[in-house]
Amino acid sequence: MAVAPERPRIYEGTRIPSPTPSVLEVREDLRTSEDVLTVNFGPNHPSTHGVLRLVVDLHGEEVVGLAAVVGYLHTGFEKNMEQKSWWKAITYAPRIDYLSFQNNELVFVLAVEKLLEIEVPARATWMRMLLAELNRIHSHLVWLGTAALELGAISMFWYCFRERDRILDLFELVAGSRMHTRYFQVGGLAEDVPAGFWDECAKFVEVMPKAVDDYEGLVDRNEIWLERTQGIGLLSADDAIALGQSGPVLRGSGVDWDLRRAEPYLAYDQVDFQVPVYQEGDVYARYRVRMEEMRESVKIVEQAMRRMPGGPWIADNRKVVLPPREELHTSMESLIHHFKIVTEGFRVPEGEVYVASESPRGELGCYVVSDGGPKPWRVKFRAPSFVALEATATCMRQALVADMIAIVGSLDTVMGEVDR
Amino acid sequence: MEQAVGLTTLEKAVAWAQSKSMWPDTFGLACCAIEMMSIVSSRYDIARFGMEAFRSSPRQADLLIVSGRVVHKMAAPLRQVYDQMLEPKWVIAMGACASSGGMFNNYTTLQGVDKIVAVDVHVPGCPPRPEALMEGIVRLHEKVMAGIPPAYEIRGVAS
Amino acid sequence: MEVHEAHGETTVVVDTPRLVDAALHLRDELGFNFLSDVAATDYLGWGAKGVSGYIGTPRGRDLNEPATQGHQRLPRQKPHRFSVSYHLLGMRAGAPRVRLQAWVEDGEHVPSLVGVWPTADWHEREAFDLMGIRFDGHPNERRILMDDDWEGHPLRKDYPIGGEPVRFSGEE
Repeated sequence: MAVAPERPRIYEGTRIPSPTPSVLEVREDLRTSEDVLTVNFGPNHPSTHGVLRLVVDLHGEEVVGLAAVVGYLHTGFEKNMEQKSWWKAITYAPRIDYLSFQNNELVFVLAVEKLLEIEVPARATWMRMLLAELNRIHSHLVWLGTAALELGAISMFWYCFRERDRILDLFELVAGSRMHTRYFQVGGLAEDVPAGFWDECAKFVEVMPKAVDDYEGLVDRNEIWLERTQGIGLLSADDAIALGQSGPVLRGSGVDWDLRRAEPYLAYDQVDFQVPVYQEGDVYARYRVRMEEMRESVKIVEQAMRRMPGGPWIADNRKVVLPPREELHTSMESLIHHFKIVTEGFRVPEGEVYVASESPRGELGCYVVSDGGPKPWRVKFRAPSFVALEATATCMRQALVADMIAIVGSLDTVMGEVDR
Repeated sequence: MEQAVGLTTLEKAVAWAQSKSMWPDTFGLACCAIEMMSIVSSRYDIARFGMEAFRSSPRQADLLIVSGRVVHKMAAPLRQVYDQMLEPKWVIAMGACASSGGMFNNYTTLQGVDKIVAVDVHVPGCPPRPEALMEGIVRLHEKVMAGIPPAYEIRGVAS
Repeated sequence: MEVHEAHGETTVVVDTPRLVDAALHLRDELGFNFLSDVAATDYLGWGAKGVSGYIGTPRGRDLNEPATQGHQRLPRQKPHRFSVSYHLLGMRAGAPRVRLQAWVEDGEHVPSLVGVWPTADWHEREAFDLMGIRFDGHPNERRILMDDDWEGHPLRKDYPIGGEPVRFSGEE
């Protein structure tokens, strides 16, 4: 058996291109030669995970220049949210990062609750955590299915989507809709958890770890997979922090940083889970981080299920939360509250907050400015994929064309949140 | 629709072949693309209709499923992809955003992709369930089998 | 330079000429090595009477006090039209966060922080594209989200939301 060539290892120092950190410029000696071909990996490309455009300079098979062009999905979320009441603005949030939709809702709702200084009941907090973790598994499954598909492991797509459909069944059971559930409300949850969810969730929790084992069995020791992912797309820890990376990209580069551990929100400080960190900084490390995260998320879901507190599912503050419908027949104050909230919308006191959460892609942040009125003044989402695309130029050093696909796949970008 | 009456045997055979093997183009834009991917999955299985071969090259595709919001910057690439497809070609506007701009009535989102391409079937939903998209696809197949020409012929626009 | 604290968050406001020094100090001496986000906000029309405001008595909204509508507590006035907020994070135990804020008028330039945190590159491009704030020293100040030849800066308050008026089926 021939000895495989030494795969590149993670580097010391910094490889961030200069002067523009996000653009890899063609080297001086190559620029004048006739051998550089500029290719457009246009917005419609099967492997660019949505409408990403990469303008790539190729010297043979090697990528010597790279610039990412985004904006092909800029939907004007932030301006639209400024026109709607706080209640209606929550509907826009999940469509930003459409793979981990509940994380977007969560971070926006947490920001509004922070401004309102409202107490969320424990049941809502734990249920939000459970759904956010299910969403993490969902997002990683879609990532794995599509990333493997692009590298040639086509059957992974069907296996991953089989489990993904089970998760969407759970979401449909809880909230009535497979995607974009709009289940989180300011103050808690929109409705109580329906009966029958716990049994289905228990069945899922039993099946999922075995499914992850299946996926690993398919690709983890596969020679072709290892060749195509190890030593590719190297990003050192210092570069990752300088480039603002977070989530699996950061943890795959050896930095032990997870907002669920470092800055616990919801009930993450009360559940027991590990945060996987790998040192190699390549595509394989990020893949391993995500696989382990799937397993850890199942553990969190299982703990949340067992320890789910009872009680109310939404806060009792009638200035913000609709009163229960039965009360409308008997109480005048409830009727007035209901009327005011539905017609005028609740008002959020003046202020600005920034709330960050750990979405499957990294630090998803929401900066909300309120002027005291019924509509948001400014909502800005800090999208981890936007920042991940800045790192493409650094990861793409000494890459071949085929590696480019693997690297862009490993950064797990969702163009909805890049362009917002 | 009077053209639906009176198909010759050859036209019927051609319509049968077109509808039973209508290959879509990989034109996933946003959230609807995820539900479009899930019709390829084994639960909703679009391979039963001969459509699991999503072609990346528009020159090999018959059907353009515009899945997701089309914004101003993307309108030109969309039209270019549509122009590169060979006749006969059909377009399904999947979801509320492709049909009418959805919840995004603003400066950048096209209020319906039928502003730039001729659409055969609109599938409502945000996002539509995979079954809803399948219903749209099946209706399109029925249209083709009945001999109704593609939308660009009906509207008399360039294809 | 001022420091505010609200909702558990610290905001440091600096003048634009001292922004780079403040950023270097925060990164090197205080250890805020991670730039999360650069958020530009347009405050045109902020606090206009009758437009917004938290309705209530000086002590807050009180349903038991009738006629509280007249006591409209308008939001505090802002120093300039635009604010650029840099959200910083220190990656160590305790996860300290701080918001570095600069205020500019329309047409004023802000020094670019790409040299301090390379990730500011695309964030500043987005702020330029959507808000029209110019960054001095940015290596690649071009539009990023809108078309290259787009006119106007969409997220400004004087830029219309656009779109089409909704047409109801009863009308012709």
